Amino acid sequence: MTSSAVTEALASGELPGRVWIYSNYHCNLACSYCLTESSPRSERRELTAEQMLTIAIEAKALGFSGVGVTGGEPMLLPWLPETVAEMADHLPVILLTNGTLLGGDRFERAAPLAHPNIALQISLDSHLPDINDMARGPDNFDKVVAIVPRLIVSGIRVRIATTTGGALDDPALDPLRELVRSLGVRDEDHIVRPIVRRGRADERDLGVHAIARDIPSELTIAADGAFWGSFGPTVRAGRLDTDLLLTRTILPLSIPASALLATVRGLPEGADASLGIR
Amino acid sequence: MSRTQLLDAHQAPITVQQYFADGDPGPIVAALANVPELMAPTLNFVGAALGPGSVSVRAKELAILRTSVLQGCRYCVHAHTAVALDVGLTTDEIRGLRGDIVLEDAFPEVAERALIGWIDALAGATGPIPDDVWNAARAHWPEHALVELTVTVGATMFLNRFATGLDLPTSAEVVSRLSMAGLA
Repeated sequence: MTSSAVTEALASGELPGRVWIYSNYHCNLACSYCLTESSPRSERRELTAEQMLTIAIEAKALGFSGVGVTGGEPMLLPWLPETVAEMADHLPVILLTNGTLLGGDRFERAAPLAHPNIALQISLDSHLPDINDMARGPDNFDKVVAIVPRLIVSGIRVRIATTTGGALDDPALDPLRELVRSLGVRDEDHIVRPIVRRGRADERDLGVHAIARDIPSELTIAADGAFWGSFGPTVRAGRLDTDLLLTRTILPLSIPASALLATVRGLPEGADASLGIR
Repeated sequence: MSRTQLLDAHQAPITVQQYFADGDPGPIVAALANVPELMAPTLNFVGAALGPGSVSVRAKELAILRTSVLQGCRYCVHAHTAVALDVGLTTDEIRGLRGDIVLEDAFPEVAERALIGWIDALAGATGPIPDDVWNAARAHWPEHALVELTVTVGATMFLNRFATGLDLPTSAEVVSRLSMAGLA
């Protein structure tokens, strides 16, 4: 499989256009359904700023159309906003964050993220503070509801991601949808997705079972290697899941991208590709 | 126990799951699965180097087992003692290669003794093969055969270091078989 084959597959839509990057695994929160068992005590397992920028540059050269940055909590890395801004000079970037590390005096850290090619994706799971905070940690609701309008006023595009154990079109989510609108977030920037039964969610018997074909085949890069899909580098009982591992080699990006394409072409159709996992 | 995690079928990376489709693929594959992009190139190389070629299976197994003995690889000595039995080496020949009995008593044929001397010079020493050892082997084995066997010995030395460095476990099945043959 060659780089040109990857480029052709991206152009035709055979491969999804987004590359995901796990910048780190540690987090200031410890959410109940976390795929990576992230917490303040997690091993950090960080990529470097140089690696992340190189991934963005090589991704663009291969024909990818966007980058997603997730963790762990990326904003725990002091250099992250400036690096994401540099990456966004090459490709559009979605930065997933819990939004809790930008309050008070730390708000100025978000300044580099006011970039036309950057969107922040912040998690909010319920319009009820107690329900939200049960899964995501104390005071999470108040911090998110406070920070989102400030970010938007500062010129930063914000998306809200809701992770649910129920149906994606459950009317019970309507109050949350209304709350998100009231924060200034457009409906198309409110993403509702299921809990995927991997990592801590699997240990706690939460979420939907998914096989590889159910998970978008987005190339995903972490310190541990390259994976099939952003739900690939999960952690269970302290051990990395290797079932969706593509390669340990992450750069040059053409190596894992080629392995992904070969795997896409070799797998049978999934049992259910309509789970809404994204 | 092994120095590295030996992945099972559930943990096997998506790119190498086919190696686990028929059951336990053994510790070399289970260890290699930790770096899936190396699986196919490594197994293709090792398979070509140790598998059927222009040299007889017997000569190749002589080279593999003797090299593994010289390198002190417990895993490979066990595994290839079993293979040697499969391809028809006698218990005495295996004992001779393993250094348990006098080599010359086990291998009366001059050609095979010359080959074993050549293997010893290749796998048990550093530097070029001495002229007298090379010439003795060349008197009975064509040059291309010695080139092929050089690849076989080199690939075996790689496996020796891989299995010994990672302390791969001998399978219970092999241990049982060698015990029954008095070669454990």
